[in-house]
Amino acid sequence: MNISRRNLLRATTTLPLLGAAGVASCSSVSQSRSSGSGARVIVVGGGYGGAIAAKYLKKLDPSLDVLLIEQNPSYVSCPLSNEVLSGERDLMSLTFSYKGLSAQGINIMQDRVVAVDADKQTVTGSSGNHYRYDKLVLSPGVDYRWEAIEGYSEALADQRFPHAWKAGPQTQLLRDQLLAMRDGGVVLIAAPPNPFRCPPGPYERAAQIAHYLHHHKPKSKVMMLDAKDAFSKQGLFRAGWKRFYGDMIEWVGAAGDGKVQALHADSNTLVGEFNEYQGDVINIIPPQKAGKLAFIAGVTDASGWCPVDQGSFASTLKPHIHVIGDASIAGKMPKSGYAANSQGKVCAAAIVAELNGMERPEPSYVNTCYSIISPEYGISVAAVYELQNGSIVPIAGAGGLSPADASDATRAREARFARGWFKNITSDMFS
Amino acid sequence: MKPYLLAAVVLATAVTTGTASAVPRSEAMLANTCAGCHGTDGHSAGGNMPSLGGLSKRYLYKTMRDYRDDLRPSTIMGRIARGYSDLELRAIASHFAAQSWQSRHDGTQPKLIKRGAELHQQLCASCHTDNGRTQSGETPRLAGQWFDYLQDQIGAMSAVHYRGSQPNRMLQRMSELSAADGEALSHFYASQR
Repeated sequence: MNISRRNLLRATTTLPLLGAAGVASCSSVSQSRSSGSGARVIVVGGGYGGAIAAKYLKKLDPSLDVLLIEQNPSYVSCPLSNEVLSGERDLMSLTFSYKGLSAQGINIMQDRVVAVDADKQTVTGSSGNHYRYDKLVLSPGVDYRWEAIEGYSEALADQRFPHAWKAGPQTQLLRDQLLAMRDGGVVLIAAPPNPFRCPPGPYERAAQIAHYLHHHKPKSKVMMLDAKDAFSKQGLFRAGWKRFYGDMIEWVGAAGDGKVQALHADSNTLVGEFNEYQGDVINIIPPQKAGKLAFIAGVTDASGWCPVDQGSFASTLKPHIHVIGDASIAGKMPKSGYAANSQGKVCAAAIVAELNGMERPEPSYVNTCYSIISPEYGISVAAVYELQNGSIVPIAGAGGLSPADASDATRAREARFARGWFKNITSDMFS
Repeated sequence: MKPYLLAAVVLATAVTTGTASAVPRSEAMLANTCAGCHGTDGHSAGGNMPSLGGLSKRYLYKTMRDYRDDLRPSTIMGRIARGYSDLELRAIASHFAAQSWQSRHDGTQPKLIKRGAELHQQLCASCHTDNGRTQSGETPRLAGQWFDYLQDQIGAMSAVHYRGSQPNRMLQRMSELSAADGEALSHFYASQR
């Protein structure tokens, strides 16, 4: 979308509306202010959180100098990437450029941030460039606790045992391994302990892999070794697995020896507390922590995640730095793409208000996660959140799961809505 | 905002709130939570997510309220709408109503568009006037809406057990519509500007 002059003007008028709209709380704001602060805000990380934060910062206050620093030239979406494993889509369909954001007046810089100086308010890139900010938004995503699974490593993930928990080359590697596997083979999926990115993701992945195997290698099995005893949308997933894939998917929870301790790479074996499991294809989704960028910036606590003021996503550890998305500790919100989208907007509104001398606007948040069990069979979970005593909590009576007894027509519609969701959330981010 | 007016708004929120936040939130703050599925400012990028930007405030409010109160069936909208009070739904409706409509020209099959135009005249034109371009508080604009959404809704309304808050006369007509004619109607409205 090219923002027309008219749209820009309308966006400008959005700023005083933050305080002046019918249900807004702020009565002390100068409503004639339309020139904006002209401050410089840097966003690092151009995914579901960062791209949205950059876009909405500029939309709410066009006078801002917004710089988005991202290490990759384009973005590959993790949501919907399980469909690459089934062969229902390719990685290109998940790949987006930053041109749309650039066309809106957001500066885009391809660079990898290697240092953050919170006192001097600068970030440094691997290019050697220094960038000064008034406000810094970090959207670091997740990193992996390699040490939690003995014998596993970043190098092994890249070459032989992909986590494929960031979409890209590892997603393709896992797909290629499935294509090369013999009929009758065993696919092992190690699912991580809470908290982790995309709570329903491992279970949708089991379904998508089973979808491929069911049609091409029907004697094969998918075995999930899970570090937990319960998981997201559990009843709906188990019913869907059974319905489409019979006994092909076996799930082993923590109590049943599902907690993977080690990888024996030489023998393609995962080691539980009591047993060893050999697989033809092994997908290890490791235990997680905030992305490297968060550690570089010093905004993580002992949990490995980032404590923030949940109404603005301002770090509680460093001034003028905000952390959004999977890396942040965001009350009851899951680590999901939609949550990051919602948080990016709340964060942008809080920053714009502060830079313009206004009160922080009262936040509103939503999460919606779809999972596709079979191409015409989708399920969802949703929640609407508010801030209560500093914590993000779901509003009682709203949200929840797709009904267990939904008709096939409803499941088919939800699968279509999953794809419509993807089209729209990525357009919200990139156009 | 003048202090007494603010107090009135806060009071109104408190009175009408069943489940939603007691602290007032701005129209844009509330409506931005919808954009992940309905596109920025309700300008949908397609699929069966309808465009909301530029529809009438009353229609948007009533539809969200009906989803919330289970007067109109949905897969997910009921679950989401239950997170907002009447006042908040009005605020969301107000934000989207303030946008200008963007037609999508999404209907692509000339033969079906022609058939759809005939069906429109026979069945729909008395309320959805000017080829579905005009709108009122009760009647949404259809011209330039996304094909997949039109098709989805006509399909849902024509199902045997469908019960919704839409006008009975329309539901009756939709229930008698063949799938092929539903598709033709969708192509017609989607092709309009």
